[in-house]
Amino acid sequence: MVARSGKQACKGKKPPVKIKVNGQWHEFEPGRDIEPAMTLSFLLREKLGYTGLKVACDEGACGACTVLMDGKAILSCMTLAAQAHGHEILTIEGLREDDPLIQAFAKQCEPGYGTALQCGFCTPGFVMAAKGLLHENPKPTLGEIKEGLSGNICRCGCYAGIARAVQHASHLDCVAEGEGAVHSPRKSAPKGGKP
Amino acid sequence: MTPPRPYKPRVPRKFIGAYRPRIDALEKASGRAEFADDLTLKSRFPGMLYAKVLRSPYAHARIKSLDAEPARLLPGVKAVLTYKDPELSSLKPTSAGWTDGVDTVSYERMMWGHFRDRRVLGDHACWATDEVGAVVAAESEQIAEEALKLIEVEWEVLPFVLDPLEAMKPGAPIIHPEIAPRNILPKDAVGGKDVFVDKGDADKGFAQADVVVEAVSVHHNATQASLDNWCCLVDWKSDKLTVLSNSYEADQSRMHISQMLDLPINKVRVISSYVGGQFGRGDTGDQPFFLFTALLSKKTGRPVKFKHSRRESFHDSRQPAIYTGKVGAKKDGTITTMYFKSIGNSGAYADHTMFALKFAPTEITEAALAHIPNVRMESYGVYTNKLPACMMRGVGNSQFNLIFGHVVDMLAEKLGMDPMDLALKNFGHEWGGLPDKSLAAVLREGAQRIGWSAKRHKPGAGPIHDRVKKRGVGFSFHPAWHAEWQEARRGEIRVRITVNPDCSVSLDAPTIETGTGSNTCNVLGCAEALGFLGITPGDIAWPHTVDTETSLKDCVQTDSAVSYLQSEVLAHAAREVKKRLQEKAAKLMKAEPEDLDIAGGRVFRKAAPGKGMSVRDVFRKGDMLPVVVEIGRPPNAEKTGVPYIANFAEVEVDTSTGRVQVLKLVVLNDCGTVMYASGAEAQQIGGQVMGVGEALTEEIIYDEAAGVPLNFNWIDYKIPTMADMPDIEPTLLEVWRGAGEYGACGIGEGTVTCTPRAVLNAIYNAIGVRVDDIPVKPEKVLRALGSVKKLMTHTEP
Repeated sequence: MVARSGKQACKGKKPPVKIKVNGQWHEFEPGRDIEPAMTLSFLLREKLGYTGLKVACDEGACGACTVLMDGKAILSCMTLAAQAHGHEILTIEGLREDDPLIQAFAKQCEPGYGTALQCGFCTPGFVMAAKGLLHENPKPTLGEIKEGLSGNICRCGCYAGIARAVQHASHLDCVAEGEGAVHSPRKSAPKGGKP
Repeated sequence: MTPPRPYKPRVPRKFIGAYRPRIDALEKASGRAEFADDLTLKSRFPGMLYAKVLRSPYAHARIKSLDAEPARLLPGVKAVLTYKDPELSSLKPTSAGWTDGVDTVSYERMMWGHFRDRRVLGDHACWATDEVGAVVAAESEQIAEEALKLIEVEWEVLPFVLDPLEAMKPGAPIIHPEIAPRNILPKDAVGGKDVFVDKGDADKGFAQADVVVEAVSVHHNATQASLDNWCCLVDWKSDKLTVLSNSYEADQSRMHISQMLDLPINKVRVISSYVGGQFGRGDTGDQPFFLFTALLSKKTGRPVKFKHSRRESFHDSRQPAIYTGKVGAKKDGTITTMYFKSIGNSGAYADHTMFALKFAPTEITEAALAHIPNVRMESYGVYTNKLPACMMRGVGNSQFNLIFGHVVDMLAEKLGMDPMDLALKNFGHEWGGLPDKSLAAVLREGAQRIGWSAKRHKPGAGPIHDRVKKRGVGFSFHPAWHAEWQEARRGEIRVRITVNPDCSVSLDAPTIETGTGSNTCNVLGCAEALGFLGITPGDIAWPHTVDTETSLKDCVQTDSAVSYLQSEVLAHAAREVKKRLQEKAAKLMKAEPEDLDIAGGRVFRKAAPGKGMSVRDVFRKGDMLPVVVEIGRPPNAEKTGVPYIANFAEVEVDTSTGRVQVLKLVVLNDCGTVMYASGAEAQQIGGQVMGVGEALTEEIIYDEAAGVPLNFNWIDYKIPTMADMPDIEPTLLEVWRGAGEYGACGIGEGTVTCTPRAVLNAIYNAIGVRVDDIPVKPEKVLRALGSVKKLMTHTEP
């Protein structure tokens, strides 16, 4: 009876939004923890403290807020928190520090390519976008890397180092591919502007 | 494609000059590095309020009346301050150009004190989105935004002007009549008068010249576009104000707040952690929003956070400048006379307009034009109702290089010379002869790497690819401007080395971590200087956060000069560390300190190197007190001249669409000494995103009829992505040498400077007609080619 009356009291109340983040399920009560217009980036940062993802443009133009949803790279600023209901989110905090991509980004210093990061603000977004790319395509070509990561902006301009790091992380034999592969002129015309 | 060619150090060293990862790379790659927005989550400051400021919807307007009462009544709103409140109205008029970031200065000594044109939330809106009238603090950003909408404002809409040439005409709307009665910024103490360089007799020079060329180049208002939007949290409790922000100059931010709010310096604490990109953004923290956020905190007794949205982060830009250049020479290519005139669009506030238009070109004259007998430069900074122009990477130099490289290329063609030969015949610096060795090195290396002699052809006369595409090569060069003597204004640079009893090292050489690589340079410099301890960079703890309460004065992240300025002082500090350790060891070893030496972590008698003790044992067996050395030294002011930088570009122009594709860039810097090779190459490569963006795609576009900006977002303001960027070959050289231990020169800022002109000269080489204004959009190329008659611009009503 108690349970029933409780249920009746809850009539019309929406069920909690359940999201699995970095392996752990969280429940968010509509109206209290989560609002219809709340973005996933806001929820992850402000409610759960996952500050690895950054909100730089808040309109899907820069990729700094990239996380994985069910293994696919998404822009968390363009995803409503409620849309993640029942899904599995992976933020950069969910990666181990010995993750090949994190290590490759951190270690990049090869002559001719610079480092893979400078200020580091865009880096978690790039790492997660690259994670999503490698899920779909474990051994991307340089052209595929450039295309796959062209939704992300690095204003410090470390694109050559980033591409090189992704190549290293994807276990491509860079030397066999041709030294300086990152710097080879593209065969096809690049895309104009951003996607 | 040639494989990467690592630079070869002139003096091999253990750590300085290395290709190695950044010291903060893992922290940043793993997402652990925390930026201002991360450190100011509500969960960390539960009582925190959010501030939002009223912005003008009009290009030019005055607030006739304002009723904030409806906003105050909105639940969740905790405070509203308006321009009528004495807290705001009593604040002194100010400028965001207090300092160029080199030194800390007071209100009285601010760099552009002639142009104190900013009120902290006044009633006069000078550009669309200007911060005016009122600011709100509320429990959430949404409530604060909602409250702003409830404020009833009666605007007096004023006539506006966007174009500097229009703004100079009689009858134009006057924006700051008390400062510039004709919108033209008057003579000032730093920049000088309108004709600010007048060496020899330029007119006579032109009259006597065998050959004269004249050209116009137009640089536009690109913006810094740091990913990390301005953010600050101010907590003003009782008499103490604490600011956590992503300002890149802690000491100057503290000075600014202290002076504007009339607080003792020791009652203001400024903390900066990681900053997500700087690029000159918003100058150095002299921003009105620090002040109104502080006043809201005082009023509410709660911490208040103010953060720009992306749109609001379109906050200042490079100074657009229309440059005329004229050069006269003898038939043999000896340049006898040069004349440059610029009309700059200051936008709504003067800020650093005259740094770009007068200060930087004066420095260039001193260096690159030292051997030209007749030089005249004149400049007009003009107020308009556009986004204000402030500091941006390569301030003034980028604009100047666009015309400088233009007239050099034109003159060479008219004389039938290779522009490289023309450059070497004429440009050096005041303290050296001709040809300048540094300039010769960057040009020869660049030419070789781009394939200059093979790829260069007569303008427009190269082979055609894919039926409609034409290729060309071009270059531009510029004197660097970050040699140590040019940094003398910084005054004493202080560092502190603490060698702990276990020989681990705590380093206090504060400089805010904005990504430039300076902190890595400092750690490498410290490890290098303390080489006698047998330590590695991993043994050194460096300051991730700069805190004016606990840190020494920060060396500001400007001029790319922090890469060596602190390392120079660290070299001196390390000598003192060694001396103190010898004194410590002498007591234990019953020797005279001068008879001892230290190497590889061991102290030994010079006479008997085999015998001795480890430095650790000196601590363990002695007093176990760390050795702490704090010293300060001003930059070495010895006039060593400056090295040169250059960019070479190869482009492909599609003559059917007008689209320009940069195929390759070679970026050359004579560094004096490479402090950190991977970081330096990252700067060379990275700067090209800004350089190519400014040359081809980035531009702030206005609705000319309404006076409002249209593309304050990154979908329409086009920053190059990975897919847009060409092959880039970073090239580090060590030819010139400055003073001191390393004799290095800052390089990062200048990597942007030569790119647009190199690309434009390459376009000319490809198609044989010039496009004189950037960004070079396809329609401009088509117009230059005669494919379209008129550029698509606004039509007369």
